[in-house]
Parts: sequence; C-alpha cells; structure tokens
Amino acid sequence: MTAVTTPAAVRRPHLTRWVLRLHRPELVAWAGLVLLGAALLLWLGGPLTDAAADGWRQYNACDWSDKCSYDQDAILRYKDAYNYLTLPLAALPLLVGAWAGAALTGRELESGTAQLAWAQGVTPARWLATRLALPAVAVTAGTSLLVFLHHRAWSAARGRIGTAKSWWDPWTFHTNGPSTVALALAALAVGALAGLTLRRALPALAVSLVATAGVWGLAQWLMPHLWPAVTRVTGLKHGYDGLYSGITVDQGLVTRTGEHIPEPVCSAHTTEECLRMFEKRNAVGFFHTYHPYAHYGPLQLTTSALALALAGLFTVAAFLVLRRLTGALRPGKGATA
Amino acid sequence: MVEFRIDRHSGVATYVQIVQQTKQALRLGLLQPGDRLPTAREVVEATAINPNTVLKAYRELEREGLVEARRGLGTFVRRSLGAAPADSPLRAELEEWAAKAVDAGLDRDDVAALFTAVLDKHFQGEGS
Amino acid sequence: MSDTALEATGLGKRFGRRGGWALRDAAFRLPAGRVCALVGPNGAGKSTLLALAAGLLPPTEGRLTVLGGTPAGARARVGFVAQDKPLYPQLTVAETLRMGADLNPERWDAATAEQVVAGGDLDPRSRIRSLSGGQRTRVALALALGKRPELLLLDEPMADLDPLARHELMGTLMAEAAQYGTTIVMSSHVVAELEDSCDHLLLAGSGRIRLAGEIDDLLAAHLRVSGAAESTDLSAHTVVESRVTGRQLTALIRPAGPLPGDLRTSVPSLEELVLAHLRNPGAPALSAAPAVTQGSAA
Repeated sequence: MTAVTTPAAVRRPHLTRWVLRLHRPELVAWAGLVLLGAALLLWLGGPLTDAAADGWRQYNACDWSDKCSYDQDAILRYKDAYNYLTLPLAALPLLVGAWAGAALTGRELESGTAQLAWAQGVTPARWLATRLALPAVAVTAGTSLLVFLHHRAWSAARGRIGTAKSWWDPWTFHTNGPSTVALALAALAVGALAGLTLRRALPALAVSLVATAGVWGLAQWLMPHLWPAVTRVTGLKHGYDGLYSGITVDQGLVTRTGEHIPEPVCSAHTTEECLRMFEKRNAVGFFHTYHPYAHYGPLQLTTSALALALAGLFTVAAFLVLRRLTGALRPGKGATA
Repeated sequence: MVEFRIDRHSGVATYVQIVQQTKQALRLGLLQPGDRLPTAREVVEATAINPNTVLKAYRELEREGLVEARRGLGTFVRRSLGAAPADSPLRAELEEWAAKAVDAGLDRDDVAALFTAVLDKHFQGEGS
Repeated sequence: MSDTALEATGLGKRFGRRGGWALRDAAFRLPAGRVCALVGPNGAGKSTLLALAAGLLPPTEGRLTVLGGTPAGARARVGFVAQDKPLYPQLTVAETLRMGADLNPERWDAATAEQVVAGGDLDPRSRIRSLSGGQRTRVALALALGKRPELLLLDEPMADLDPLARHELMGTLMAEAAQYGTTIVMSSHVVAELEDSCDHLLLAGSGRIRLAGEIDDLLAAHLRVSGAAESTDLSAHTVVESRVTGRQLTALIRPAGPLPGDLRTSVPSLEELVLAHLRNPGAPALSAAPAVTQGSAA
C-alpha cells in the first residue's frame, strides 16, 4: 500500500475554489445587489440631491410670499429615495450575513454535505473557517462600498436640504459608517453559530435573524455610552443647550447644590409658571448631556469595535460547538475519549 | 483462461467451488500446464466474492501441487489432472452399467442418487 | 502501518445528555485487509459506529483506534459513504469528481473514480440533483474510492442499487480490496447481501456488538444440534437459542466440550447464526478475534 507522503510535500486541498463554486449563484446575486445599490446611491448623491437642493433654494427665496413656486416634487423624490435606500442599507447586510452564516452551515449539516467535506481531505476546522471567511470578505467588501457611497450622498445634502436626515438618526448613523459592516460580520457569526447548534437551515435562519436584531438593538442601546458625552449647563432663562443637535444621553435640572435631577412634569400653560415651579425645587439651571457631531467618528469606531468583539465571541462559540459535534478539529489534537 | 461461476445456493463453500471448477477445467483440458489462473482481482471483480476466498482456493490448489504462485507474476498451472479419457475401459463399464439401470426402470434421479451414494462411500474425506 | 484497522474498547455514544445510548460497551478488533460486514437491524447502532470510525462524531465514552491512531487523525486515509449518500446537488458529476481531486490532492485516483462512474452510463455533465438514488450511490462510491483509502466505511452502500449494479459495484469494491489490501466495512440489515463478499462480521443489536470476528471462526464456534427433547442436556454448553417441537429439540449452541453421541449436529449458515443472536438478545456476546492491544496505538 502507498506510504503517506511526508509533511514537507503536503499539498493543501483547494477548498476555497469549491466554496466559491458551490455558492456562485448567491455570490452573483450579492454582487448584483451591491452594484444596484451603488448605482442608486450615486444617483441619490448626485442628480437627486442637486434637484432637491434647488427646490429648497427656491423655497427659501420665496420668503412666505403668496405667489411662489418651487420644485416640491424634487424635494419629495429625494426624501423618498433617501428613506428607501437607507433603511435597506441598514438592514440588508445584516440579513445577508445571518443568511450566509445560517444557511451555509445549517444546510450543509442538514443534508450531510458537511460530513461529505470532512470525509474528504478537509478538517472540520478548515471547513468552518472557509465558510466564515469567504462570506465575511464578500459582505465586508460590498457593504463597505455601499456605506462609503451612502456617506458621500448624505454629506452632499448636508446644509442644502431642509429635510435631510440628521447624523444621529438611528438608520443614518449606522449606514454612514463602518458599524454596519461590523454588525453584518456579527450577524454572519451568529448565523454560523445557530446553524451549527440547530443543524437545520430554516430554524437556524429564523433564530439568527432574531439574534441579529438583538445584536443590533444591543449595539444601538450601548452606543451612546461607548464614548464620554459632553454636558452643557445653562441658566433657567436660557433653556437647554444643544438640544436636537446630537444624541441626547441625559437632560434635566441642576439644583443649587449642583445635583442633577430629572425635569419635573409641568402641566402649566406658560413657560413662566413652569420656571417658577422649577425654582421652587431649588433649580438654578438646565443640564444636557449629549454627543455633538464631533463625536460621530469615535462613536462609530467604538460601536464597530463592540460589534466586532461580539462577532469574535460568536465565532469562537461556533468553533466550540463544532468541536463538540465532531470531536477533535485537527488531527493529532484531542483524545478519543 | 477460466471464468469462475459462483452459485450462492449450491450449499458448497465458495472456495470449494473455485477448486472444483479449476480441477474441472484441468480435466477438460481448458487449462494446460503453464497457463495463468486469473488474478484474485480479476476473479473478485467479476464475481464480487471476497478476495481472501480466492486466495484460499488457490492455496488449496497449490497444496495439491496443481498450481504454483510466482511472486509478482500470478498463479500458474503446474500439471494437468489425469482425465478419464473417453475411450477408457472404465467408461465402457459405466456405459454398460447405465444401460442396465435404464433397463431396470430407474430414472435419471434414481441413478444420480445411487451414483452419489457410492461416490460418497468410496471417496470419503475428499471434500465436496 | 498498523495491522489493525479498527479497535474499540468500551466504546459508547449517547446523543444528548439525556438521550439513549446509540452504542454501548463495544469492544472488538478488526484486522487490516478484511472485508467486514456490519450487520444488524435498523437502529442497532451501525451508522453510529461508522460515523465514530470516520471521525465525524466524538465518542461519549471508551476508545476507538482507527488505523493505529485517533479517528480524527486517520480521516485523510479513511473513505466514508453515509447512508443517504450526501452530495452537492448543484454540481455536475464531473465537477463532483474534480472536487474530490481538489480536496484530496495527495491521494486522488482519477482513473478509479471515473471508472466507477462510467460503469453507470452516467453523463458527466448531468447535475447531481437530477440523478436517481442508485446513480447518486455510484457517484458517492466513486468519490470515496477515488480517495484511495486504507479503510473504507460504507453505510448501507447497496440499498439503492439494482441487482446488476449491486453485483458490479461489489466487484469493484472487492477488486480494490484485492489490489490494495483496502479494509472495507459495510453495513446492511440484510446478511445475505454481504455473505459472499465479507470474511469478517460485526453483528450489532440494540446498541451492542453481539458477535465480532472472522466469519469462519464464528461459524466454527457454533453448532446446530437436534435430538430428543427429553434426554438432551445442553447445560454444559452456551445455548444461544433452543426450541422444542413435539419431542424434538433443536438448538444453536457454542459447544464447550464433547457432545452426547446421539445428537445430530451441523454447521449453521451465517444467516442462521445472525438471526439466532438477534432473536435472543440475552445470549452472551462473542468476540472471536481477541482484542489484541498493540503498542502502536498512541
């Protein structure tokens, strides 16, 4: 019988090529989707923004005069297009990631083709690594391009279009930066973990979609606390400072002792009455703790880091589940009992 | 070259069938000294029986001095089996006996049963 | 190379923490170069044992040595065809074989794989999803044989095949064993299907290994006896099964010494042996090939 070749001459199996071949339709669909999204975002940031900006200039020039015409259609078209592009861009990479993770692992385990691969010269660890790495590259590349174009389109409208979304709008916040990419990777890892745990494609997909929504919610909930916020204190006469210019973390009254208390409910009809009531409670001013636009970058990076950390955790968990499923992941490691 | 036909329902052990069929071929002159027996691979590919069964049969034939295994070349016939020629006196006697049996009203099965019983008595322990 | 293809001691597998045992207390040794029938009714633990040997499942307890090492370490030298013959439905037959070549770059034997496929009158360009069960089996076997394994594990390999294809593919498997000394383990719930091709037997029943050893040795260790019901005393021997019809007693026993002279005895057929053990789960197990523990298992 043939002797086993020495490790020096080891030729590694070409697994990557076959994962690409096996999922060619999905890859083509994803590439098509990315190209379509890119084209639409270029259209949004270019002609649509310019037309809407013109409309707003006409509108502002009217100065409330009776006879005034402005291109309202262009303004509405921009608004619709922005919403219909931003929402899918915020959600789709996550769906694609969860689907890729759950379907690639769950379906293979369900149909037994995973075992087919392991019975060839492919270790389960390499199998899972390839099945995570390739969709990760595809999702990262496609989503990065879309996020970049979205940021470009959003920036083009900033200050020119009255109804343009603020930077802190939840969907806009994520679609303008790398956090969408990081969240998509977390979704991919969640999907793979669900696929390996449930070993069936459809339940794994359902669970990973719910889990992905949870990850998104968690990231969104923790995001304001991932970077120190600024606190502005103003006199009672002045009112809150910086309201509606960023992400509010906390707001309320400052007392004589410097204590921060929530703003009491005031049902009075005039501001004066309310202020008098606040004074009775020892209030000397307002405070507003928030993230100004300058914090956008740090918040994006810390949120992305959080999502990537979760992705890493889920990936480790997926490998642990795989080890429990198959025993040793690599030859020579792990005992037989 | 001989081709073995394995009858699963004969009740005869598979390796014995190979031994018998080889001897039959030697008797009938289908195999001559110097001829190569099919390799174990060739036999099992055609018959789907276990390779060790073929090797066991060939070992048996070798033990009886009918064939010899040459390393790396195959198994070759060493000598032919003394066949009972068609014109031997023994055959004439058997012909005569068979005619008597027919005259006595025995049918084919009766004759076969009788013949087998006598064979069994005189050739005990030769394995069949 | 190890002279032992498979060796199990106290091997057990349970699915889930509260699940039942699919296999328990399995102890046997399969020498290299054998063609082994893994026989037993459905649910006896045959598939579990094969998956354990293929390194696709970790054992819950006990130890299993494959080709002298761990099951995971032996994966590259082991071919495995699962019961439902999983293949990628979107690939063509030719692509599936090319994948086999790519995933087993060190050992791929394209000629053997293509020959197995060619025997089935298969168009290499047809997609796996369009194939019949028997054709899928053929491609799955081609993939496993093309790997040129030292140990080939086949779970119900013949179930989907017509008699002609069954005979032809069994011949191919036997030729592989004859030429390369490949150890083959194939499971079936039909003994007769494997009788001529196998020289070794593993009989599984209710998650236990009931019989293990060379088929000739196992048959030689048993006798079918019949005699008068009143006067026959078999208490000195291991009785696997005994039945009284009228005044006649017939039994399958493992003789432990000389038998009374008035008994009629005969060697049982493999099917009789298997059925008698399956009908009588209480009969003690027999391992005819002693589990030789050899030093190379490290």
